[in-house]
Amino acid sequence: MITAVLFILLFLGIFMGMPIAIALGFSSIVTIYYLSGDSIASMGLKFIENLTDHYTLLAIPFFVLSSAFLSTGGVAKRLIRFANAGVGHIRGGLAMASVLACMLFAAVSGSSPATVAAIGSIVIAGMVKTGYPEEFAAGVISNAGTLGILIPPSIVMLVYAAATEVSAARMFMAGFIPGIMMGSILMLAIYIYARIKGLPAQERVSAREFFSAAFSASGGIILIVIILGAIYGGIASPTEAAAVSTIYAFIIAVAGYRDMGPLKEIPWRYEGENAGSAIVRNTWQIMVGIPKAFFAPDVQKVVLDGAKVSFMLLFIIANAMLFAHVLTSERIPHVIAEAITGLGLPAWGFLIIMNLLLLAAGNFMEPSAILLIMAPILFPIGLQYGIDPIHLGIIMVVNMEIGMITPPVGLNLFVTAGITGRSIVWVVKACLPWLSLLLLFLIMVTYIPQISLFLPELIDSLRTR
Amino acid sequence: MRHYVERLEEGLISLLLVIMTMLVFVEVVMRFVFNSGFLWLQELTLLTSAWFVLLGASYGVRVGAHIGVDALVRLLPPNIHRLVSIAAVGMCLFYCGLLFAGSWVYLEKMKKIGLELEDLPYQKWVAHSILVVGFGLLFIRFLQLLWKIIKGESIGFQLADEAKEVLEEIAHIEPVKKNEGDGR
Repeated sequence: MITAVLFILLFLGIFMGMPIAIALGFSSIVTIYYLSGDSIASMGLKFIENLTDHYTLLAIPFFVLSSAFLSTGGVAKRLIRFANAGVGHIRGGLAMASVLACMLFAAVSGSSPATVAAIGSIVIAGMVKTGYPEEFAAGVISNAGTLGILIPPSIVMLVYAAATEVSAARMFMAGFIPGIMMGSILMLAIYIYARIKGLPAQERVSAREFFSAAFSASGGIILIVIILGAIYGGIASPTEAAAVSTIYAFIIAVAGYRDMGPLKEIPWRYEGENAGSAIVRNTWQIMVGIPKAFFAPDVQKVVLDGAKVSFMLLFIIANAMLFAHVLTSERIPHVIAEAITGLGLPAWGFLIIMNLLLLAAGNFMEPSAILLIMAPILFPIGLQYGIDPIHLGIIMVVNMEIGMITPPVGLNLFVTAGITGRSIVWVVKACLPWLSLLLLFLIMVTYIPQISLFLPELIDSLRTR
Repeated sequence: MRHYVERLEEGLISLLLVIMTMLVFVEVVMRFVFNSGFLWLQELTLLTSAWFVLLGASYGVRVGAHIGVDALVRLLPPNIHRLVSIAAVGMCLFYCGLLFAGSWVYLEKMKKIGLELEDLPYQKWVAHSILVVGFGLLFIRFLQLLWKIIKGESIGFQLADEAKEVLEEIAHIEPVKKNEGDGR
């Protein structure tokens, strides 16, 4: 009875267009107050506890903010140039470089649509100009962009960690190999396609250009090293790594790449300026520029945009925790788990059902919202089947990736449609062949747990030695 | 006047986020460079985040930062859509009211007992008073929305559209290619 009321209210609220955070909170508190008989004060207490008891969750606003600083065109352009210098000379190299750039960008930002927008807006037009079919370019980018939530740092993984209380750092370790694998699969497919269709290759760049491209991209790449190094090395928690990367991203965006703030458009070296005076001028300008940046309207806008996404996510999470509280106190996941195991369903059967359920949900809702509703239910069932919590998380994230490129709510589709100026139907068709690769990858990740678990287990064994 | 209040709200929310980042950054620096730390830094950071989220929640209703599913209600004819929205806003108001009342009772109890925070020497009810402020503001925002829907200025919730936002962000960087007359 309580279960029915809870879920009916939740889905009623969601489909009436209520913000998901409030639909979650509304269904929970109505159930708690009227059916469970908890005191009204306990809800206030519970809510503030949800907001002040989870230090790990603070990584979300910090990663959102740091990727907001780096999601400008400047970083994307440099990463593309670097990727192109690396693999551009292979057949289909420009497309492969785009995938590589998406992977690198995914590692500085935690969002899929942002990756598609930043990389796609530059490379799709570029590919078409060099003779690639436009469908091909659009399909590759929409798919490669989904890596944004698989390659750490990933907002979706942090949300999963929050919903199930598994370690966010271990999730980040687990996402690394699947992310590289998916990227490689895409590049391999591009190579084969390029061989068959005779797509163009570019001239091999000089070593000088390669190192110059690597240097110009290093501002973004060092960030990846900071985050992953700190987390994998066990030096810092994801929250701390995220805060440091935010400060770093701010300095890079304002003083290094000068995409925003008071130093925008001021070059590191004017033509004909000698090195000594350039160093003195830049040092002075950076010292003045960084404090001034706090008052620059474009920097303030980036912070405010980051703030909007952050409090939105944290508000959903606080409400989802109320929801999870009702679920556990009513033992709902246990009842469902017992019913399912009672059917004699094997583990692989459960995984199929879970995948189908998540894929269906992914068609209608945002990844973070789905995970917050589904993870508390699926997680205990998975545990009962002896599935590793980290592996389960990676399966869910890959499902969410697919949700980003399936209609009607696939965000990447809308972004690609916006970039190319084509209709959604056209983009869906362009993505279809690549989507099948992603589905194949999902099956691999689901049934070969070692793909996800190899790295975290390796790091564990290194640490205990 | 109204403009200034809005600016103040935006400034305050951004400031809280910046403070949070700085606090954690300072903590990291303290630990690595000076090999020491303050326990209360963590508590202060978490409280700042609570203020940030609860102030942001109501601001988010005004600027449409919250996410939701409006695919279904959009299929309804406008009149019915409006009625559904009015009912949904009513449910939101109920949510705010219940949590406002719950928070009020909770804070009252805390004040009576005089409980202090774990690491900071302050009264718990003062630090947690953002609960009533946040849900109070949220209630007001939803009332405003309800009024707008009744007057016919709005048809439903203003929900976030991430795809549109990232496209707007890149629009000024690269000229977006448009294919005219593409109806396929």
